[in-house]
Amino acid sequence: MTSPAAKWLCFALLLALASQAQAQSLRRLHVDALSMRADRTELQVGQVFHLAIHVRVRENVQALDELVIPDLGTMQSLGDERHTTHAPGGTDVVETLTLEPTASGPFTFQPAYLDAVDARTGRPSRFSSNAVTVVVAGPSLLDSFAAQLIAVIERGALAALGLIVVIVLLTTLARRVARRPRRAVKPPPAPAPPPPPARTPRDVVADALRGFRVTPSAAQLLTLRGALFAAAGVSSGATLRDALAHAPDHRLRVALIAAERGAFGPEHARDAASMELVEATEAWLR
Amino acid sequence: MSRPQALLDALQTTIVGQREVVEGLVLGLVAGGHILLEGAPGVAKTLACRALAVALGGVFRRVQFTPDLLPSDIIGTRIFDQRTGDFTTSFGPLFANVVLADEINRAPAKVQSALLEGMQERRATIGLQTHALPSPFVVLATMNPYDSDGTYPLPLAQLDRFLAKLVVAYPSLEEERTIVDRFGGAQPELPANVASLEDVVRWQREAQQVFVDAKVRDYAVDLVRATRGAELVAHGASPRAALALIALARARAYVEERPFASPDDVRDLAPAVLRHRISYDDRIAIADGDPEDVVQRIVAAVRAP
Repeated sequence: MTSPAAKWLCFALLLALASQAQAQSLRRLHVDALSMRADRTELQVGQVFHLAIHVRVRENVQALDELVIPDLGTMQSLGDERHTTHAPGGTDVVETLTLEPTASGPFTFQPAYLDAVDARTGRPSRFSSNAVTVVVAGPSLLDSFAAQLIAVIERGALAALGLIVVIVLLTTLARRVARRPRRAVKPPPAPAPPPPPARTPRDVVADALRGFRVTPSAAQLLTLRGALFAAAGVSSGATLRDALAHAPDHRLRVALIAAERGAFGPEHARDAASMELVEATEAWLR
Repeated sequence: MSRPQALLDALQTTIVGQREVVEGLVLGLVAGGHILLEGAPGVAKTLACRALAVALGGVFRRVQFTPDLLPSDIIGTRIFDQRTGDFTTSFGPLFANVVLADEINRAPAKVQSALLEGMQERRATIGLQTHALPSPFVVLATMNPYDSDGTYPLPLAQLDRFLAKLVVAYPSLEEERTIVDRFGGAQPELPANVASLEDVVRWQREAQQVFVDAKVRDYAVDLVRATRGAELVAHGASPRAALALIALARARAYVEERPFASPDDVRDLAPAVLRHRISYDDRIAIADGDPEDVVQRIVAAVRAP
């Protein structure tokens, strides 16, 4: 069982410890000055101004992160620069905010502050600057009228230019259409003819034989020989032995040998070879 | 009146297997060219050459080429005769119908050169007198590709004098068994006088009349030209290779009693004609490549008519 007095004692002890911990996290500083001012206090919406916060401490510090800037409200922040200047007597920190008012009316910047252990008293303290009030006026009637006038003129000029471009394009198009000869109306495509039946090697040989009969020239003989080779299953560039190796049909073999004799035999023997070739090929085709 | 086919049959009854080698020897004889045989020791190179010579019934001489051989040892020399007080000519083994130059790459360049000059010119000069070599005259030279120590490799220009180079491979299992059976006991007699020297001269004359179509000629020329600039080839074959290819194609058609040379003749004989006429790129040794594969690739790449 714990008595209420004991509970209060514990609470007080915790508070003291928390305060001690906070004090231990604060820096010990001699704050000589903390001020805030605006480079203009009467301005218009959209007019950029600067708000400067100046802190001077006796200690030589690299930065002063404890400085808390005030809430900017409806002001739009365009930039924030912090300069630290070290001097024999201490450190000057100047934070400059570049702001643009977006709404008219008076606006008060609450004081900037920093928390530190006051080196003079040894106690945690909050050092605050002054507040700054700026008065933001709406845009002037004359300016607004001039701006509206300019905008109207701009829109009008753009519209006129667009209209001219459209007219020129339409005219050009109309001329081209007028020049173009009228196309006859295309009849619907006729249905594709049925594919020719696949040609067999025999068909090719028969065609080549017909060609050789009509014109018994050396070129026709080579065509017939090539068709016989293809019928044997070998491509051009092969030799008779290759073709014979692929041709088990005796009649085709006889035709192949006759074609070889006709193609490469001596001139005086070519007529006989040609006749033999024709007979052998016909026999194979039958 | 004998036909070359009879000679071919006679040789094939003696030589076990090696059909291409035997055919190459006969074709070389009919084409009037000299043949180089390359193969391991004991694969019947010398036996094939001796069998050919015996079958022809001509004068056969065998010269074992050694590093101390002199040109006069193969050509001949002038000897002073004390009885007559004059010089007489002693003809060397080059004066024969079939000369077997065994291990030709073991003799120094001067001896090789004397032999190759006789092969080309078909005559030899002893002292101040030039003597024609007998007809027919064929040199069959052998080389062992494995023992390169103490050898004098033949230059490309001299290798070009050989019509064909035949590679004598090891026999198959069955062939080797037959060799043991046939040559294991008493040496069998080689078939003699199958054809006469006059027959050979006639064959050579008639083979030259075999018709070669322009398309077959062009195919031979294309094959030879394809060796120049081919991959792994440093120097391609000379125009002499095309001449040799056509001569062998004619000879083959003649042996087969066909009146014209065919693309098959050219394609089949091309490796034998080309393999010793090509010098290979250094990369072939680096890549551990086979020169025979290079030749086969070249032949396969050219389309027959």
